[in-house]
Amino acid sequence: MEGVLTGLVGGLAIVFTPMGFFYVALGTILGISVGAIPGLSGAMLIALTLPLTYYMPATDAIVLLIGMYVGSITGGLITATLLRMPGTPSNVMTTFDGYPMARAGKPGRALGLGIAASFAGGIISWWFLLLLAKPLSIWATRFGPFEYFTLILMAMVLIASVSQGSLIKGLIAGLLGMLVSMPGVDPSSGMPRLTFDTYHMNSGLKLLPVLIGVFAVSQIIADVLDIGRKIERVESTKSSIMIKAGDWVRHGGNMLRSGLIGTLVGILPGVGASIGSVIAYTTAKNVSKTPEQFGKGSEEGIVASETANNATVGGALIPLIAMGIPGSVIDAILIGALMIHSIQPGPTLFITNPDIVYAMIAACLIGNLVMLAVMTGSVNWVAKLAYIPRTFMLPVIIVCCVIGAFGLDNVMFDVWVMLIFGVIGFLLERARYPLGPFVIGFVLAPLMESKLRTGLMMTGGSITPIFTRPVAATFLAIAIILLVWPLVSEWRRRKAEAGTSAAG
Amino acid sequence: MNERIDPRVEIGVALMLILIASLALFGTKDIPPGRFEPLGSAPVPQAVAGMVLLLALWIIVRACIDRRPIATPSADRYLDAAIVVAFTLLFVAAMHYRLTTFAILTTLYLVATIGFLTRFDRKRLIWVIGIAAAVGFGFQYLFTRVFVVDLPGL
Repeated sequence: MEGVLTGLVGGLAIVFTPMGFFYVALGTILGISVGAIPGLSGAMLIALTLPLTYYMPATDAIVLLIGMYVGSITGGLITATLLRMPGTPSNVMTTFDGYPMARAGKPGRALGLGIAASFAGGIISWWFLLLLAKPLSIWATRFGPFEYFTLILMAMVLIASVSQGSLIKGLIAGLLGMLVSMPGVDPSSGMPRLTFDTYHMNSGLKLLPVLIGVFAVSQIIADVLDIGRKIERVESTKSSIMIKAGDWVRHGGNMLRSGLIGTLVGILPGVGASIGSVIAYTTAKNVSKTPEQFGKGSEEGIVASETANNATVGGALIPLIAMGIPGSVIDAILIGALMIHSIQPGPTLFITNPDIVYAMIAACLIGNLVMLAVMTGSVNWVAKLAYIPRTFMLPVIIVCCVIGAFGLDNVMFDVWVMLIFGVIGFLLERARYPLGPFVIGFVLAPLMESKLRTGLMMTGGSITPIFTRPVAATFLAIAIILLVWPLVSEWRRRKAEAGTSAAG
Repeated sequence: MNERIDPRVEIGVALMLILIASLALFGTKDIPPGRFEPLGSAPVPQAVAGMVLLLALWIIVRACIDRRPIATPSADRYLDAAIVVAFTLLFVAAMHYRLTTFAILTTLYLVATIGFLTRFDRKRLIWVIGIAAAVGFGFQYLFTRVFVVDLPGL
């Protein structure tokens, strides 16, 4: 514990340098601004910012991106409340109660509760991040290649099974992401594969053009489709949005419960803020004394949703820091950011780059404090960003995408890759394939393959340790259960339906 | 959610996935087996591509036998999206062949795209041209002089 506190002090010292604090604050403000603009997301912002961080010191780059992560989840609250349009997918549940409360003449109250809940969620999960990341990383250093292989396998199945849409489509998206990561010179053998004799492909399809394409370009195409959509609008408030001490006490239990749910969901690999807020909202409704108020402007609904979605941020950073496994799509991009700065994520990160780890943890705390100050002080200004005409904004973002993809290696090949993956991402989304598993598959596949091949080299080609080593066998068993359970529950549901219709 | 996606979209996307998986299988067929390690470079991509192929086939079969009602298509502006994508392809191609500077190409692209999305409304056209030029030349200055990043184009 002493080591953790010493490290935290070191991290705070980094963040509280003038440039460190500037980058955290800038990241948080940009994150809030982008989160407040419907159609733009934190993942898009972070993917587009990555190229600008090449020339920055690694700690500055990472604290900037962490600030963006924290800010973007919260910024979506504003449009969810005032426009019934979630700024990010994780704010969908907030629209159910935030907008009705705003329409009932209490927009300030709705925003105030949402901001306070977001802060509470961020701080609750931050404590878990501080306390759990190091012990978990120490445990993970005992993993051999087979444990790592099965852990990633479990993570991939988990991501596919809890993603929106069908399990099959989640699996296909994850597998496609893995496949797309495989072209290039094979690091294990030095042999080029899937390069189709194109020298540009020798270094493979790079993370950044693929990410920008899948998250930014595909989103812009989708945004153009509904560019003419009319936005319902409630004016923001001129009065103070600070909630009273009594409100903190009254909603404390809900905040704590939703914060714990959000943190736990965040820790699960690839399960994002959207699912955290849905579970917390449903739980709050189930235990509420006034469940009939949910969906009509319930304070408990806003608090549950906003606490949980912000709590997933700290939760999702735990597996990233401890094991190099992304807890969400944005974490997958952060892994890419670490690798761009020659930092290898994984359980040894605490040993090789403790400054980076504690700067990330400190930035998460400071980002939440900046978020509280910015949102409380300037929510009316931030709300105006939602009205920027998208006809002007979207083409400018495409130009930023082109610069971002080109800036990686100064080759137009990467820009073409970005465009192709923009179209592929758009088509996948149209057919309701989740994009989260795609990105996480893309990031994790090289690690998964290298661990499998290292393990096979150690055992002379035998996969027996997967079944005989307790941790590896446990991960494999969980993966199989996660894969089979949705099929079994679907079969049971159909059987029950058939029974009901036969009885009727 | 008792409505299904338009089977043409479902099957079209599944065919695209089958094409990608087939390309991967074709591209790995001549990779020799591993010499210093048991697995080699080919089996993992082949296994992954094989699974994509099988699951995509399953999606096609399911789309063909599904009898649920098809989701009503929203009044989306598909033509607008297609034209914006076409403008973007031209923009990138022009930069690829270095037809002129980044600033000029970006200005032209933004005038064309924003102008098209605003239906070349005369009242807003002057704003469109102004903003396009400000972004085009502003970005060129910002990225080459402040961030010192190379830009595509001449």
